[in-house]
Amino acid sequence: MSDNNTKPLIEMIGVSKFFGTFQALKNIHLKVYKGERIVICGPSGSGKSTLIRCINRLEKHNDGRINIDGIDLTDKVENIDAVRREVGMVFQNFNLFPHMTIAKNLMIAQQLVRKTPKAKARQVAMQYLERVKIPEQADKYPIQLSGGQQQRVAIARALCMNPEIILFDEPTSALDPEMINEVLDVMIDLAKDGMTMVCVTHEMGFARSVADRVIFMDEGEIVEEASPQVFFDHPANERTRTFLNQILSH
Amino acid sequence: MSFDFNLILQSLPQMLAGLGITLQLLLVSGFLGLLLAILLLLMRISGKLYLDWIAQVYIYVFRGTPILVQIFIIYYGLPQFEAIRESMFWQILREPTGCAILALTLNTGAYVSEILRGGVLSVDKGLLEAGSALGMSARQKFIYITTPLATRLSLPAYSNDVISLLKSTALASTITITDMTGIARTIVADTYAPYEVFISLAVVYIIFTFGLQKLFGVIEKYLSRYTVREE
Amino acid sequence: MEVLNGWWDDYFWGAIIVVEVFIASLCLMILFGLIGAGAKLSSNRLAQRIASAYTVIFRGTPEILVILLLYYGSAITLTAIAQIFNPEIKFVDVPPFWAGTIAISLIVGSYATETFRGAFLGVNPGSIEAARALGMSTLQTFIYIRIPEMWRIALPPFGNHMLSLTKDTALISIIGLNETLFVAKQAITVTGKPFTMYIVVGIIYLGFSTIITLSVMGIEKFGNRTTVGTR
Repeated sequence: MSDNNTKPLIEMIGVSKFFGTFQALKNIHLKVYKGERIVICGPSGSGKSTLIRCINRLEKHNDGRINIDGIDLTDKVENIDAVRREVGMVFQNFNLFPHMTIAKNLMIAQQLVRKTPKAKARQVAMQYLERVKIPEQADKYPIQLSGGQQQRVAIARALCMNPEIILFDEPTSALDPEMINEVLDVMIDLAKDGMTMVCVTHEMGFARSVADRVIFMDEGEIVEEASPQVFFDHPANERTRTFLNQILSH
Repeated sequence: MSFDFNLILQSLPQMLAGLGITLQLLLVSGFLGLLLAILLLLMRISGKLYLDWIAQVYIYVFRGTPILVQIFIIYYGLPQFEAIRESMFWQILREPTGCAILALTLNTGAYVSEILRGGVLSVDKGLLEAGSALGMSARQKFIYITTPLATRLSLPAYSNDVISLLKSTALASTITITDMTGIARTIVADTYAPYEVFISLAVVYIIFTFGLQKLFGVIEKYLSRYTVREE
Repeated sequence: MEVLNGWWDDYFWGAIIVVEVFIASLCLMILFGLIGAGAKLSSNRLAQRIASAYTVIFRGTPEILVILLLYYGSAITLTAIAQIFNPEIKFVDVPPFWAGTIAISLIVGSYATETFRGAFLGVNPGSIEAARALGMSTLQTFIYIRIPEMWRIALPPFGNHMLSLTKDTALISIIGLNETLFVAKQAITVTGKPFTMYIVVGIIYLGFSTIITLSVMGIEKFGNRTTVGTR
């Protein structure tokens, strides 16, 4: 799975993050290689969202280094822009622009950030809408779509920018149960095509079947990191076992 | 003590003759005030501390003092200075109408800028994060995400301010302007019939206010067309 | 600046009048606001209609017009009534203090009606249900759950109402109340320095606004000490 001779796509070295006096991330070391699917889980407040939000600079890390595909993540605007061109993000609350049609949602960043002409942007948009299986919704507004459809649009929107990596921040947590699978199916599809993914989620079935590595975080630290077979069947750490018991018991 | 309806029928046309001036004060001050408000808003969110400060002080002063005092300072007070009387602005500042428009503009600009700022702050942060994640620049986010949404969010409070502005135009009558209120006061001074004259004038303003509310209601509905689910 | 000597105590007493109007109108404003909100929230159709008419009339009519109407209208009415008893009486006056205070209380009270109504409706229904489920009576629920929450919701707009009352006091100078703006007018006829005199009025009102704003901020902080989280 991970090739030790090639450089990791994402590298976090000794990363710490403080919110005031509260330390959300404590000395995080993480390597993600191209094509890997990483799932991060843990109790709320463990820092998992903060970690992935540091990757695309939605949060600023205070200590340590973050390197994305050779680009050092610092305060330099060119670096941040370069990183955001490579990294896509899917949010828990979808964050579709409510005042734009679905198609426009997918086109706007292409036109503004990549300077793609309108016709080509529309073409790309329709292509990815087909990919997530809702091309007929192109000219509707987000409010008219169900939660599951909106999240699939959000995934398509991230894909339109041709990222190397997609970050998922609890993509199914805000969805009604019957819509979770349609989104997970799209994510599984992406994984099959070799997309590098870092996913914060509670969906353990997804983790078991799709992840290359599962990471358990608690209180700002990476407590355990292993393949799904090892992680779920023989977790090494006591805290991991406690967590798994809590969420898998019913 | 009887209610003289004839008097109302006679005085209404006279007062309505002042409608043009009332409208002029409302529309010109409203428009210029909006421009000023946008300027102040940009100063406040510019990130440059000194601009933010200047805007804050301005807003604090103009929201913290009565508009009547502001009108008096501009109309009665400025001529105290020779520099003003000699300047090119004197043509405007000599006339009560110019002074009234200036005072109303400066005042409403302060209030509206805070309303717009409230709208800007109400925009869902998640949408801006999505814009950032997609690589949009700060300027692009402000133009394509913040502005359309903040405009819709500001509209209810803005419509209230426009109605306040309408009511403030009546104060122009205190510096000799013959708007509807000015004419009414003259009539009352002649006829000693405050009830008939002032009540009928109040009805005119209330109808005007009602019209404005309906107008803004239509605009709000149009701007909110994508926020309502159609089943 | 020396021109102000001799006028400081006049301004001082004028400022005292502003405080007196504030206290009186604050009490009345709260009274009118609560009655109006109560009427709007009641199930009595007539009460609702009257309260609606109240808010429409006093939110749609210029403040200066209400003041003029109340002052001159009441004078006419009282004179007419007095003349029934004693035909010798030429003119009965309502003190500008009371005409003005009642006028601005009615006006700001109409806005307060909406504020109190919104605050009452804004109380989390879940809290009410929990209280009733725990066996608390309607009165206990009202006192211990409803009122503290209502107060917290209403405080920011209520602060604005207090600011409105303060600034509207300047309008009462038009009917002769000897608050600061009135004092300034007199001072100008003697000193011939309108700008200076009106600026002092502005500063005095700005001072009052600042005191009110800071007080409200302090009370808000106190009221929210249990609801603002750490993260």
